[in-house]
Amino acid sequence: MNGYAGNILHIDLTTGKISTIPTSRYESWVGGHGLGSALFFDLVKDKTIDGFHPANVVTLMNSPLSGTLTPGGGSRTEVQGIGVQTYPIGWFTRSNFGGRFAAMLKYAGWDGVAIVGKASEPVWVDIRNDDVKIRPCAPLSLWGKDTWACQEIIWDYVAGKNKYGGWIKPAGDKGGRTTQRPAVVAIGPAGENRSRLACLIHDAADAAGQGGFGAVWGAKNLKAVSVIGTGVVQIANPKALLEARIQQKKNYAFDLENLKAPNFSTDFQSAPLPELIYKGGQRPNVEQRPAACIGCHSACRGRFKDGKGNEATCFGTVFYWDAQTLDIQRTAADLINRYGVNAVEMCFGLLYIYLLHNNGLLESRNIPKCPLDFSKYGSEAFVEQFVKMASYGDDGKGHASEFGKDVADGIIRAAKKWGRLEEDLKTGSMLWFPYWGMPVHKESRAQIYWGYGTILGDRDINEHCFDWLKWDASVAKMYGRRPRVPAERAVKIITDKMVPFQGDMLMMDFSDKNMYSEHMAKFVSWHRYYTRFWKQSALYCDNRWPDFVNVYREDRVGSTGEAEPKFLAAVTGKAFTFLDGIELGKKIWNLDNAIWTLQGRHRDMVHFAEYYYNRNGGGTGGDLPNEYLPGLENGVWDYFGYSRRKFDKAKFEEFKTIFYKLQGWDPASGWPTRKTLESLQLANVAKELEASGKLGKE
Amino acid sequence: MHFCSRSNSFQVNFKRMDSMDGKKGKDFSRRNFLKISGKVVIGTSVATVLPNLIWLDEGLAAIPASEGYLLVDVKKCQGCMSCMLACSLVHEGVESPSLARIQVIQNSFQSFPDDLTVEQCRQCVTPACVEACPTGALQADPKRGNVRIVNKQKCIGCGACMEACPFTPSRAYTAPDNAFEGQLKSRKCDLCATAPYHWDPAGGGPNGKQACVEVCPVSAIKFVKEIPAQEGVKGYQVNLRDQNWRRLGYPVD
Repeated sequence: MNGYAGNILHIDLTTGKISTIPTSRYESWVGGHGLGSALFFDLVKDKTIDGFHPANVVTLMNSPLSGTLTPGGGSRTEVQGIGVQTYPIGWFTRSNFGGRFAAMLKYAGWDGVAIVGKASEPVWVDIRNDDVKIRPCAPLSLWGKDTWACQEIIWDYVAGKNKYGGWIKPAGDKGGRTTQRPAVVAIGPAGENRSRLACLIHDAADAAGQGGFGAVWGAKNLKAVSVIGTGVVQIANPKALLEARIQQKKNYAFDLENLKAPNFSTDFQSAPLPELIYKGGQRPNVEQRPAACIGCHSACRGRFKDGKGNEATCFGTVFYWDAQTLDIQRTAADLINRYGVNAVEMCFGLLYIYLLHNNGLLESRNIPKCPLDFSKYGSEAFVEQFVKMASYGDDGKGHASEFGKDVADGIIRAAKKWGRLEEDLKTGSMLWFPYWGMPVHKESRAQIYWGYGTILGDRDINEHCFDWLKWDASVAKMYGRRPRVPAERAVKIITDKMVPFQGDMLMMDFSDKNMYSEHMAKFVSWHRYYTRFWKQSALYCDNRWPDFVNVYREDRVGSTGEAEPKFLAAVTGKAFTFLDGIELGKKIWNLDNAIWTLQGRHRDMVHFAEYYYNRNGGGTGGDLPNEYLPGLENGVWDYFGYSRRKFDKAKFEEFKTIFYKLQGWDPASGWPTRKTLESLQLANVAKELEASGKLGKE
Repeated sequence: MHFCSRSNSFQVNFKRMDSMDGKKGKDFSRRNFLKISGKVVIGTSVATVLPNLIWLDEGLAAIPASEGYLLVDVKKCQGCMSCMLACSLVHEGVESPSLARIQVIQNSFQSFPDDLTVEQCRQCVTPACVEACPTGALQADPKRGNVRIVNKQKCIGCGACMEACPFTPSRAYTAPDNAFEGQLKSRKCDLCATAPYHWDPAGGGPNGKQACVEVCPVSAIKFVKEIPAQEGVKGYQVNLRDQNWRRLGYPVD
């Protein structure tokens, strides 16, 4: 099987049984998310269980592209399962991380790992090619260690008497040689203590941040999964793959000799720069190198001479915005990675607590005593205490604290317990958690597709497919620079690629009049399908794909639509078009919605926090104060600032109806119908929905 | 007595094994070979079985210098391992760091620049791997610019080259080879001279293109024809950073 290893590893932590599932059984889903959703649907009979339940299955899936030279496509691992972060229901959800794990898992001979059950004592999984062991943590004293120490201890254990730097044979004489360290993904103290903010960490800062998967693993007594592989990925057409890589680099990637856009951007043409969003846009003034995931053509992380903030990016660098110095903020990034807590919720959770304090509200109502000393706010000691508080559910200094326990249960649940949830979500002045109990990311009142994708799905989408456009347009409008292309040209280029909806330019009219239209519903639908398949199943990286508008092309037309299937075909040898991927993405999206329906979703609960309906947007954290996007106003296309508006609740209800009809779901409930599911070869899913009394009416 | 120069012309190098500069030096005798290979029956006439063996403890060797070398900038490398993936792809048609003839070894918890090394084959002027090969499989190939190349037909997978390489990780190493029914065969960098999946019709070798050089996203690998300084790493670990690199905010010294 070109691109595939052929087997998925199944681990039952309750019984200790290790078995395999042939990948061929799920090959039609290709890999990553699609395969994970299909596997979850089959393995978890009762979809209403809580994420902490032992029967919850967590999958880590790679794809045929993993471990190959596909640029920005060889390194991602898709994590899925019932999460514990969202509110009021922990949705079946996803997260994703880069680095080396997906590739190493493939080299070891696995297309993914499915983990169920709960071990009787803390354990870690040791995968060395086809030799898989569930090992107790105790002999290595792993439980209690932070994620970095855990990984280093496992590295030394796997190396045995050998030293890294030379060839080692981790699987003994049966296996081959490697110079590489195991790829380990681990939980820190936050996961061990089942903090809902807990995440999975690989290497220094590759994080599966959302969903609370760290806590899910902690509930399973699972500390880490380590994999080292010495095998190969079979490639259908090696010359075609190499040729495609060389041409893609030559025609669409940054050129050191001709740096047209020497800035970081979340797409293919970006220069290799660490994605740092420290306060004030500061970049550490220390010697550094770019640090890339395996096979990537353009790094988005860095490693530094003083060893601080290695590989930290994005929200990991936004956290602790009010740090007194840059160095303290960098140390804060390291702390959240070592303790294994989600950067976004830490960022906006701390902001919430700080604003409560500033407004004299921390000692009112039902809020337990807060052990944080705000006279030290901005210091390293303060943030260390806060990170430990969120990890251990205590006061951050080793003593019991109801406040700390509440924080570790997630900010939205803390607000509810403190009797503040309804009020604070209505005003939105302190608690910036607009959807499913998750913190804000982008200003969705401007980038409406972001908000729609999130509220119609399971989590903050964190898909930057069009975010580069907002930045490009906003910087252009606010600072008088030239955008990559004028608005109308950008819209034409992008919508021409949005098969099967191509030709409808109004999909990208972000003006008020178009916010709730069928055009916008098509845009949101296409975005769901593209990301569900090409980014979360084929596993093209969100930081580098899609390639819509490319400054290295004279006509500015990027390679998306042609490039993604080209690499997949070179690896697998199978005919599979870009449209095939979009259609499979639609199938995957429908399966996910079926799972959410079984979990209890109904259209009546699909709503933003109240403040999105009664308060204008205005930028978020480090974002620009106004966000510019394409709009058609008075018959003219241009970039307009759209932050200063709110959603209309009644019109959003209408939009939901339009969206559900477009999907072929029952508009009364948002549930899938038999006709739609059968048209997508999901008859078995329709059967289960019917048995649960949750099949949409046609 | 040892001399070499950095000209492009054919070089004859005279070297005694016991004065070789390297991390491990071995006096490779007939007896040592018999211990490692396990394939030659004691008592068999070694000379008839291994007619091309060069007895270094008896005299001098004459191995022409390679007409090509890879230099790397360890501080510029972004750790993506694309070179490794390209290497195994062009040579064996698969993706596998374990089959790559260039190795990037890194630790994401370490500080720059100690977090990463790039270990390329040096096409040594005095190649211990060639000298150690008991079957003459590993040779300076005169048809391919004297690049030190493994002839897999002749290779018996004994691992002598791996043992002899003075560098860590050894630049030559053995692995099962599917083209030879899983038999152990040696692999080492051949500057893409014998890469069956080479993308360029003109191929590789000193007069062609190397996959790692072509694929490296930041141009941290360079092919040269001049012989690098053989002692230490300075000849092979160089500075390939310029003002464009500085423009991205990275150090250039």
